[in-house]
Amino acid sequence: MPETTLDVLALQLMQLDPADDAGVSEFVAGVRAHVAARGEAGGTPALVALAGTVDLLERVPVAQRGILLGEAGRYIERAMGEASGTVPVAEAAFDEGALPPDTDVDLLRDFIAESRDILTGAEAALLELESNPADDESVNTVFRAFHTIKGTAAFLGLGGLSAFAHHAESLLSLVRDKEIPYNSRCADLSLRSSDMLKAFLDSVEAAIDGSRLVPPVGADVLTSELERAAAGEIFEESVVETTVIEVDVITVAAAGSAGDAAGAAAMAEAMASVVAATAVREAATGPTSGKAKHEAELSVRVRTDRLDRLIDMVGELVIAQSMIAGDTGVSQIKNQALARKITHAGKIVRDLQDLSMSMRMVPLKGTFQKLTRLVRDLAQKNGKAVEFVTNGDDTEIDRNMVDAIADPLVHMVRNSLDHGLEPRDERQASGKRPQGTLKLSAFHQGGHVVVELKDDGRGLNREKIVAKAIARGLIESEKGMSDGDVWQLIFAPGFSTADKITDVSGRGVGMDVVKRNVEQIRGRIDIASEKGLGTTITLRLPLTLAITDGMLVRVGDERYIVPTINIQLSFRPATDSLYTVTGRGEMVLLRESTIPIVRLHRLFGIAGAAERPEEALLMLVGDGERQCAILVDELLGQHQVVAKSLGRGLGTVPGVSGGAILGDGRVGLILDVAQIIQLGRTAGNDDVTPAAPDRRSVA
Amino acid sequence: MTHTASVAAVSQHGGKYLTFVLAGEEYGMQILSVHEILGLLPVTRIPRTPAHIRGVINLRGKVIPVLDLRLRFGMPSVVDTETSCIIVVQVQGTQMGLVVDQVSEVTTIAGADIEPPPSFGADVPTDFILGIGKSAGRVRLLLDIDRVLSSDEVVEAAAAAADAG
Repeated sequence: MPETTLDVLALQLMQLDPADDAGVSEFVAGVRAHVAARGEAGGTPALVALAGTVDLLERVPVAQRGILLGEAGRYIERAMGEASGTVPVAEAAFDEGALPPDTDVDLLRDFIAESRDILTGAEAALLELESNPADDESVNTVFRAFHTIKGTAAFLGLGGLSAFAHHAESLLSLVRDKEIPYNSRCADLSLRSSDMLKAFLDSVEAAIDGSRLVPPVGADVLTSELERAAAGEIFEESVVETTVIEVDVITVAAAGSAGDAAGAAAMAEAMASVVAATAVREAATGPTSGKAKHEAELSVRVRTDRLDRLIDMVGELVIAQSMIAGDTGVSQIKNQALARKITHAGKIVRDLQDLSMSMRMVPLKGTFQKLTRLVRDLAQKNGKAVEFVTNGDDTEIDRNMVDAIADPLVHMVRNSLDHGLEPRDERQASGKRPQGTLKLSAFHQGGHVVVELKDDGRGLNREKIVAKAIARGLIESEKGMSDGDVWQLIFAPGFSTADKITDVSGRGVGMDVVKRNVEQIRGRIDIASEKGLGTTITLRLPLTLAITDGMLVRVGDERYIVPTINIQLSFRPATDSLYTVTGRGEMVLLRESTIPIVRLHRLFGIAGAAERPEEALLMLVGDGERQCAILVDELLGQHQVVAKSLGRGLGTVPGVSGGAILGDGRVGLILDVAQIIQLGRTAGNDDVTPAAPDRRSVA
Repeated sequence: MTHTASVAAVSQHGGKYLTFVLAGEEYGMQILSVHEILGLLPVTRIPRTPAHIRGVINLRGKVIPVLDLRLRFGMPSVVDTETSCIIVVQVQGTQMGLVVDQVSEVTTIAGADIEPPPSFGADVPTDFILGIGKSAGRVRLLLDIDRVLSSDEVVEAAAAAADAG
């Protein structure tokens, strides 16, 4: 196609009807030809932006073309200015240190979120390429990712980001066109490019919040490296980095739990394939990526606050519906048809609630993919051979939980790679395969999501942990401690048995943080370990953060919700099991241990509550470490409630973690058991009940 | 009193006000901060909070705190009446309910009719008062609701203002 000048393009644009498909195609082709004639880089920022804009033009609905054509017009004008020298060529946002003045912040946020998703996908493809460099589809995935980011960034006026993406893309295009082979140097550069693009996105995000827009550190260096690589230098250095490292990544597309026979079989097969042939591995991963692509096209991005609002509204609807159904006026109407209609409406409302809840659920795939990358990098750093197997990454979990478990998982994986798995020679000496296995699985079990990290390393060292714990004064002796008790010690703050501190783990700030983070999302962490055979860490997490399983209790005239996960048992104490310890308040004797009693009515100043524990109930609650028995009047039943904050206006309320709308539309407060125990201790010292014979408290 | 000077100083506060009654006195708050007005709803008390925090209510699925404006200003507490209601305001992005004795009307108070807050001496801050609105023969204390809800000194200050007024 002959080159079209900017003037001709501008003229074309003026006469163009956005609905005229042929005209638009012609215009797009003209722009492309013009940009192509200005060199691969597209020449100036305005031209890069123009190219990005017309790329989008073909992908948006007709209705939105008008806006893009307007954009294109502006870029053509700017390009003309650049050509005539009236506009400085370096008019890129990153050079100015600020976002373009006409930036649409919402659009920018969407771009950031979308680009991060794209990059996650690209990274997975890059890792796939490491084990299978001939996979054209993966090359294309990465190429498309960089290309999309380049185009959109240019459209949004993010010149520096767009230019960098261009360099990253150029390298990949050489690989795609088989001009250079995909070798380890190329892989390294691509992965670093992907990281750099993420850093660019971070700085754009920071700029939205008001910081200066600066290119990330090292962008220049990496750009010139990319340029040199694209210019052919890649061949010379290619063999240097071929080290002993082997990282095999398998994604087993087995749905369902680990106990699922088919899943286990598929996995065994896939594991065998690592040793046997790469061809089988392709077969195992092929269908997964194809399916994921299909799903991505069928999804819609919705702002989380809107989704939360929807869930709130549906929750309200459920309450409103149950109020109608339970209304005495309605129930007095002896009309079967009406009753049927109400039941029918109730069923729809409940289905709607299930549906709205499921909308927050996302698969763990993204989280697992990030860990795959981490394993690769750490294995390289430590010089260990690791086979990382993930299983059940299609298990769904609440969107909020995904963020909450990301950090703990990173810590766990680091620990396993650093301490768990032995170096190659040590493994061979103990008769194991030289390549260590790290298996990450996720599955549903009894209303929970279980995430399990299993290594076949050296296992936890009981003697070492015990010695360390005694040295640190955590325990006095190991007498009577089961293995499980000993393993729990590694969750103590500052605990580390690593002989030397590496930059990845061993600083002793790992496992206690993991435990705390997991408990914050009402999850549980368990360790199983066998010396010489490996360690399994299991996270048991609630399906969603939005819903709390709670026991509704009555204390005097007030009702409170106690999270079920904190409740151990409830009982009516016998008179002779109650006694008062001077200085330590009231205690109850249960199974030979004494447990402090917290009188909630006194702590919270509630009127009309039962004073005598024998006439009320004691609810034994714990936060994992400490226990107490809360005195309540009555259990009103178990409920699933949607936990809400009490509103920022109140700040934090000691002893209360939030509120929930109860069945009658009123707000019930959810108790924070850990804080109650704490409050009980401090308050207990304030108002110690004298050891009166009848234990009747003095009000 | 230098009437003209004071008019010039506060005229930017002119606009629409929601007026309400607290302990027999009329107050006003800018209508823009008012979200809605509710009849009294069942309020869940929150333990271990100051007395002026009445508790939380369910506002169509949202849990929002409710303050007793009488107690906030150090006025005596009274039993709720038929006319008692909750004004839901939006303060710095947070919704909050305020219990008042009675809501009166929405009225426009021109900038010229607003006088600067009276001074009670250095010890009594008056920064939560936008000014004194005088229109249709009535005097209303116009509140800067943001400051009323964020400042801790309000209670004492308001008590002093009530005494002086």
